[in-house]
Amino acid sequence: MNLKQSLFIAVALSVISIVSWELYWRSQGKIPDLDDDKNLWAVQRAKVNHASETDVVLLGSSRVLFDIQLNEWEKETGTRPIQLASAGTSPLPMFHDIVNNTDFKGTVLVGVTPGLFFSTTYPEAGPWKRSQNRVDYFEDRTYAQRFNHWLSLPLQKNLVFVSTSEEGWSDDIDLKSLLYAIPSENRTGKPEYPPFKAFAYIEEDRNNPMSEKTATDTAFANSIKAAWKFVIMGNQQPPDRESTTSFFVADAKKFINRGGNLILVRCPSSGWIKQGEDKFLSRTEFWDPLVTATNAKSYYFEDYEQFKNLTCPEWSHLSAPDARYFTTELVKIMKADGTLSNSKSN
Amino acid sequence: MLFNSLSFVVFLVIVLALYYSKLFNWTNKKRMLLFASYIFYGLWNPPLVILLWISTMVDWIAGNKLTLEENQRKRKLWLLLSMFVNLGFLVFFKYRDFMLDNFTSVVNSYGYGYKAQPMDIILPMGISFYTFQTMSYTIDMYLKRTERAKTFLDFALYVTFFPQLVAGPIVRAQDLISQFYEEKKATINQFIWGLFLLTIGLFMKVVLADTLLSDTADTVFGSKDMLNGLDAWTGTLAFSGQIFFDFAGYSTCAIGISLMLGIILPDNFRYPYAAIGFSDLWRRWHISLSTWLRDYLYIPLGGNKHGIVRMYAALMITMLLGGLWHGAAWTFVIWGALHGIYLVVERMLKTKIHIKIGPYNGIVLALLTYTLVNFTWVFFRAREFSTAKNMIWSMLFMNTDGEKILYSSDIIKVFSVISILFICHWVMRNTSMKEVSLKTPSWILGVVWAIMFFLIAISQGSGEQFIYFQF
Repeated sequence: MNLKQSLFIAVALSVISIVSWELYWRSQGKIPDLDDDKNLWAVQRAKVNHASETDVVLLGSSRVLFDIQLNEWEKETGTRPIQLASAGTSPLPMFHDIVNNTDFKGTVLVGVTPGLFFSTTYPEAGPWKRSQNRVDYFEDRTYAQRFNHWLSLPLQKNLVFVSTSEEGWSDDIDLKSLLYAIPSENRTGKPEYPPFKAFAYIEEDRNNPMSEKTATDTAFANSIKAAWKFVIMGNQQPPDRESTTSFFVADAKKFINRGGNLILVRCPSSGWIKQGEDKFLSRTEFWDPLVTATNAKSYYFEDYEQFKNLTCPEWSHLSAPDARYFTTELVKIMKADGTLSNSKSN
Repeated sequence: MLFNSLSFVVFLVIVLALYYSKLFNWTNKKRMLLFASYIFYGLWNPPLVILLWISTMVDWIAGNKLTLEENQRKRKLWLLLSMFVNLGFLVFFKYRDFMLDNFTSVVNSYGYGYKAQPMDIILPMGISFYTFQTMSYTIDMYLKRTERAKTFLDFALYVTFFPQLVAGPIVRAQDLISQFYEEKKATINQFIWGLFLLTIGLFMKVVLADTLLSDTADTVFGSKDMLNGLDAWTGTLAFSGQIFFDFAGYSTCAIGISLMLGIILPDNFRYPYAAIGFSDLWRRWHISLSTWLRDYLYIPLGGNKHGIVRMYAALMITMLLGGLWHGAAWTFVIWGALHGIYLVVERMLKTKIHIKIGPYNGIVLALLTYTLVNFTWVFFRAREFSTAKNMIWSMLFMNTDGEKILYSSDIIKVFSVISILFICHWVMRNTSMKEVSLKTPSWILGVVWAIMFFLIAISQGSGEQFIYFQF
C-alpha cells in the first residue's frame, strides 16, 4: 500500500464528487442561501445590547419577518431595523428578554400573529420553546460557536451544497434530509406531514423576502397552504388569551415606563387562515383587549385602505413586492402619526 | 472546540503550520501546543481554563514532593491533597446537585419538607477525563511507578494536550510525557495515516452517529408512550451504534491528530461489539478508562488476590463507580451494576462451564454479549427510570399493543447500519485497521477515503457535541 497514492486518489475523487454535487444542485435550480438559524438570530440579538434610542427592533413571528422589509424601512426612516422576528414562535419570550436583560429604550415593533401570540406561556409548548431556545442560545453561545458561524457565512453565501436548515425543510439537500425524502411505509397510523419547502431567502441581517416561486407558482404556494392546514388542524391546544396577554402586558408596561416606544402590528393574512383567525381568534376578543391593556400604538392592517387588497400567496405572508409596499406605506402611516418619533428621520 | 467544526479545521491548520515551520525550537513548539490547547479549551468557556491550571499546579507540586519526600506519612498527605482537589472538582461540578437531590429526598422522607436551592453550575467539559489523567500521574508517582516529568512544560502539556483533553483517551504519564522529551515530527506516512484516521473519526461521528442513528434513538427514548417491541429494539440498537460511533469517532480523531504531530496515543476501542463475554468487552470498550479503573480501583480493592467474594465485591464496586463516573444519575449506577453483575456471572460460569471458542459458537456468543449489552444501554440513555422500565418491557415483547412510532425506513436504516457494524467488528476482531490497510490496494483505500469525505461534506452536520463531553 502506498499512502501517498491513496491520498492523491482521495483528494482527486473528493474534489470531483463535490464539484459534481454542487453543479447538480445548481442545475436543479438551487441557489446559495443562508440558514435562518440560531446563530444568525444571535448576531442580530447582540446588536440590541448596544442599540440607541433611535434604533428599531422588530419582533414577532414569520409575518413580521416576511412583511417588514429592512431596505424600505431604512429608506423611509434612515434607520435599519434589527430583525428578530422568528418563524413559528411566540414573540413573548424574546420581548421578555429584551425588556429584562437589556436597557434598550428605542422602538420595539411587535407583530401579532394571533395563533402564535396568544398560544401559550407553557415553556415546553412549541411556539414558546422555539423562541426561548434562541434567547438561551444567545446567552450561552461559546466563542467557538461564534467563530464557526463567522467562518460558515462565506461558504453559505457561495456554495449550494452547504445549504441546510435548522428548520428542516423538505427540500433541504443535506444527507439526512435526502434520506428522509425517500418514500417509506408509514406504520405509525398517524397522518404524514405534507412536504413543507423553504419559501423565502434570508440575508445576513435577516431581511427575508418571499421567494418569487411562491408568489408566481400556484402549485408551489398550494403545497405551503397544505402544510399550514396540517399544522393548524393538528394543533389541539386552545389559545390562552389571559396568561399570554398578562405576561406581555407586564413587560410592555415596564418597557414603556422606561421610555421605550412599543408598537403593535397585525400583518395581513388571507383566505382560509384569515377566515380561521376571524372565527377563532377574533379581533374583538384578542387584539382589541391587548391594545387596550398595553396602551401601545397599534396598527391593524384592515384599518387602512392601502392594505385591504393585499393578498398572501400562501395565506399567511406577503410576496416580496407586496412586502416592500406594505413596509413603505406602514412607515409613512406611522410617521404621520408621530409613532416613530424616536427615529433618525425625525 | 469540536473536531467536527469549521473553527477546528482552521485551528488545526494553524497549529500544524506553526508546528512544522522552522520558526520554533522544540521547547517553543511545546509552548505553542500548550497555548493552542488552552485556546482549544477556552473557546468553549474561558474562565474554566483556571480549573485546568489549578489541577496542573496541584499535581505538579504533589508529584515533585512525592519524588523528594521519603517520609511515608507526608507522601500519603501529598497524594491525598491531589485526590482531594481533583475529586473535589468532580464532586462539586458533577455530583453536587445529584447528592443534594438525594439528600433532599432522604430528609423529606422523614417529613421535613426541605427545599434545596439548585446551584445550576455548568459542568466543565471533559473534567472527568483530565482529572483522572492527572490523578493517575500522582498515584503512579506515589507508587513509584513513573518518573517525575522533567519540566513543568512537559507536565502541563500532558494534562492539556488538546487532541485528547476533553474525551480521552485517558493517557498514562509514562506513555505521553516521555514523548515530549525529544522533538517529534510525523513521517509522511504517519501524517497521511493520521489524516486518514481523522477522516474515519469524523465519518463515524458526523455521518454514522449524527446523520444515520441519532434521530431514531432520540425519537424512541424521547417517547412517553409504551412502545412496540420492534420500535424499542430499533431505538436501543440505534443508540448502541450512536454511542460507539460518537465516542470511538472522537478517539479515532484524537489518535489521528496526534499522529499528525508525530505523537502516538493508545487505542481506546478494539471492535467491542464483537466481544465474547464481558471481560472481553471491557478489554475492547473505552480501554483507557477500563484499565484506569482496573489499576487504580479494582486492584487496590483487592482484585482477584483475596478470594472469590472479595473479587466479586471489588468488581461490583468498580463497575458501580464506573457507572457513576459517566453521569450523576441513578440510571448510570444501574448501568454499572448490570455490567458488574454480568462480569460476576460470567466469572462464576467460567469456573463451571468450559467452552472452546470456535468461529461458529464464537459469533453466537458475541451476538449474545451484544444483545445483553443493549439492555444496559437502555439505562445509560434513558433519563428516567420509567422510560427505562417501559423500554425493557417493550424489548422483552411484553407490550403487545405498544405504539409504533417509527417509519419502516427508520427500522431498515438502523438494522442495516447495525448489522454492518456487527459484521465489521466480527471480521476485524483479531486484527487492526492498520493491518487491513496494509493488505488493501492503494486505489481502494483512496476511493473509500473519498467516499467518506464526500459523505461528511454533504451531511452538513450542525456541529453536534460529542456525547462523552458531558461525562
